[in-house]
Amino acid sequence: MGNCCSDVAGGHASIGTTAGDLRHQADTANDAVDYFLRSRGHRGLFSQIELLFSASGLRDRDVLSKSDPMLVLYTKGKNGALEELGRTEVVLNSLDPTWITKHTLIYHFEVVQVLVNCSIKFFHHRFRVYDVDTQFHNVDVKMLKLEEQQFLGEATCALSEIITRFDQSLTLDLHRDDFITSTHSQNYGKLLVHCEESLSSKTAIEMIFRCSDLEYRDLFSRSDPFLLISKVVEGGMQIPICKTEVIKNDLNPMWKPVFLNIQQVGGKDSPLIIECYNFNSNGKHDLMGKVKRSLLELEKIHSSGQGEKLFLPNKVVLNSQLFVDKFTESVQYTFLDYVAGGFELNFMVAVDFTASNGNPRLPDSLHYLDPSGRQNAYQRAIVEVGEVIQFYDSDKRFPAWGFGARPIDGPVSHCFNLNGSSHYCEVEGIQGIMTAYTSALLNVSLAGPTLFGPVISNAALIASHSVANGGRKYFVLLIITDGVVTDLQETKDALVKASDLPLSILIVGVGGADFKEMEVLDADKGEPLESSSGRVASRDIVQFVPYRDVQSGEISVVQALLAELPTQFLTYVRSRNIQPSL
Amino acid sequence: MDARCPVRTLELTVQSVEGLQLDRKPATTKNNLFVVVRAESINSYTTCMAKEDATNNNLTWNHKLDVDVPLHASSITLEVKSKTLKGVKDVGIARVAVSEFMGGFGSVPQHCLQFLSYRLRDWEGRRNGVLNFSVRVVNSPEYVTAAAGKAVSPCGFKLRGTTMGATTSSSSCGGGVVVGVPIGWNSYGSSTYNNV
Repeated sequence: MGNCCSDVAGGHASIGTTAGDLRHQADTANDAVDYFLRSRGHRGLFSQIELLFSASGLRDRDVLSKSDPMLVLYTKGKNGALEELGRTEVVLNSLDPTWITKHTLIYHFEVVQVLVNCSIKFFHHRFRVYDVDTQFHNVDVKMLKLEEQQFLGEATCALSEIITRFDQSLTLDLHRDDFITSTHSQNYGKLLVHCEESLSSKTAIEMIFRCSDLEYRDLFSRSDPFLLISKVVEGGMQIPICKTEVIKNDLNPMWKPVFLNIQQVGGKDSPLIIECYNFNSNGKHDLMGKVKRSLLELEKIHSSGQGEKLFLPNKVVLNSQLFVDKFTESVQYTFLDYVAGGFELNFMVAVDFTASNGNPRLPDSLHYLDPSGRQNAYQRAIVEVGEVIQFYDSDKRFPAWGFGARPIDGPVSHCFNLNGSSHYCEVEGIQGIMTAYTSALLNVSLAGPTLFGPVISNAALIASHSVANGGRKYFVLLIITDGVVTDLQETKDALVKASDLPLSILIVGVGGADFKEMEVLDADKGEPLESSSGRVASRDIVQFVPYRDVQSGEISVVQALLAELPTQFLTYVRSRNIQPSL
Repeated sequence: MDARCPVRTLELTVQSVEGLQLDRKPATTKNNLFVVVRAESINSYTTCMAKEDATNNNLTWNHKLDVDVPLHASSITLEVKSKTLKGVKDVGIARVAVSEFMGGFGSVPQHCLQFLSYRLRDWEGRRNGVLNFSVRVVNSPEYVTAAAGKAVSPCGFKLRGTTMGATTSSSSCGGGVVVGVPIGWNSYGSSTYNNV
């Protein structure tokens, strides 16, 4: 009897410990989910762009009738080769065609789920217009051989050039790059490209799920359920797209709203698998049941007010039910709406000129200017980021600073103008930044230490001026550095203060230094930043990438740094209820 | 409040609190939480009881207060309190420097709405959640002085050329002494941004 009593006491102690750990882990998991959602503006979307084409003033290549034009869309790959993306239909007998065919392109700029590798891509598109020979009028355009058609002209542009226009249309001159006509300018007509963001990209669905009569899965307590929503792709593979928080000790849970984008799901009729798990702190969660339904079917479930019974993989139907307590569909403004509505992204650069970079005249220096023209890491980072962001800035005048150097006959400056001026900091275009950078290298002495606070505060000053003037600008500061920041707390203070301004900060680490402290600044990988006064950053504005990861070629600087920028932008404008001017 | 002493008025909206605990348990609406705002003055401003935000389960007030801040005040405090059967219990406090929302160097201009989040600490200094609130300066002697001299944009005034505080002759506020918080100082002494 005594032994029995002892066993009972031990069991209680063990369960208590486990329960405590479980609560702690659940809180941590839920906090992580909340912060993840909040930092991504809660409703992260990616965009699908539809391109429409028309032309005017085409050359008449037919003898007895007008031309029968067709447009072919290409993109230029990394190796410079043209890759055909699509073709329009043939418009018969017209020199001013309006093609009906729409070409759809994915414009990725933010991540809703970590499984999807999304990014802003720099598109160079080439459009070629052909006069289709009469004998091929009844042939499917996909079967047409382009070499058998008359080439009318071509035009090239970046997708960014189109989407940043107020009317999202761009008129291009068609030209031909053949030997005979290259000696003098000729008019081959004009091409009008118009882009629209597809409605499905803008549509977000908010759902509130509730379950009833879930089964007990914990030994002496109720279950701690959460939902995992996945989409089914070809081959039956399930890709998780959304997860709810864990609700502790509840067999009839109601979760926080879930937000899905139709584009993300694949379509309203695409099947979703909703699995209910019992949370276990060891990571091996118990499946409590699941349903497989499309968004359309979930909407019907919501309308009917009835539940859907869960089932197990062995097809056993359970008494547990899933209810959809809320199902609302809404269209919201996207990043592209703001861009089309006149919002600009203003690029700013700050370059590390501390002595740890090495003597610029020596080949092993991070600032070495190779006589052959090969760019160093600083130059590559500036160009790769700048050539994307510049399209979103109308005047293309960029503030450019250096820090950690000693100008001629002066003390060490932790924020000096790259152009050498004491009055203004702007330079003209990306090339202006490059010129100012090389010029500065020849006119300052590398010094130290590495301080971010001054340049961040200066960028914040510019942003605050813009806010004061009611400007529709969002600023992007690129900091390129080789070392560990010395003024970490001051940098945190500056970042927290700047988090309420229209500003994002991209930090690229070059060289082989230990950048662990940089990752502290990137809130994605840690807790929200907190200043010395206790103020907490209202949003994450920092993205850090060590350049050595980029050098492997697996991912570009642009992808790594800019992936979160539209989300940071949207978080800012939505929190202040700023509307695009459409 | 002595009417002769100039004050600035803040439109302060106490929004929500995250991660707050009482007796090591997550705070709920049953804890009857409210916030008291003070600005180094005998006056205090109190919110209603917190409600639960259905979308994120945070406790929210969304209570707007018009807070008069004496010019001599260097900080305001926001205290989260719990009303219990035994009385009022202090849960956490956040102290905010006035300079944080007065549109200083590299900050949101004071007359624009600012969203602030501050770490709460209990009376033993332990961290206890984050308090979210918004602030806008709706009346300020500095603003009046600046407005008298030049046009002011809807979201506030430019840092350049701003009056550095104000001089008052009232003996109760220190006759002949410049008071107020300096704004627009540039501690880094670096570049000037053109086209502002």
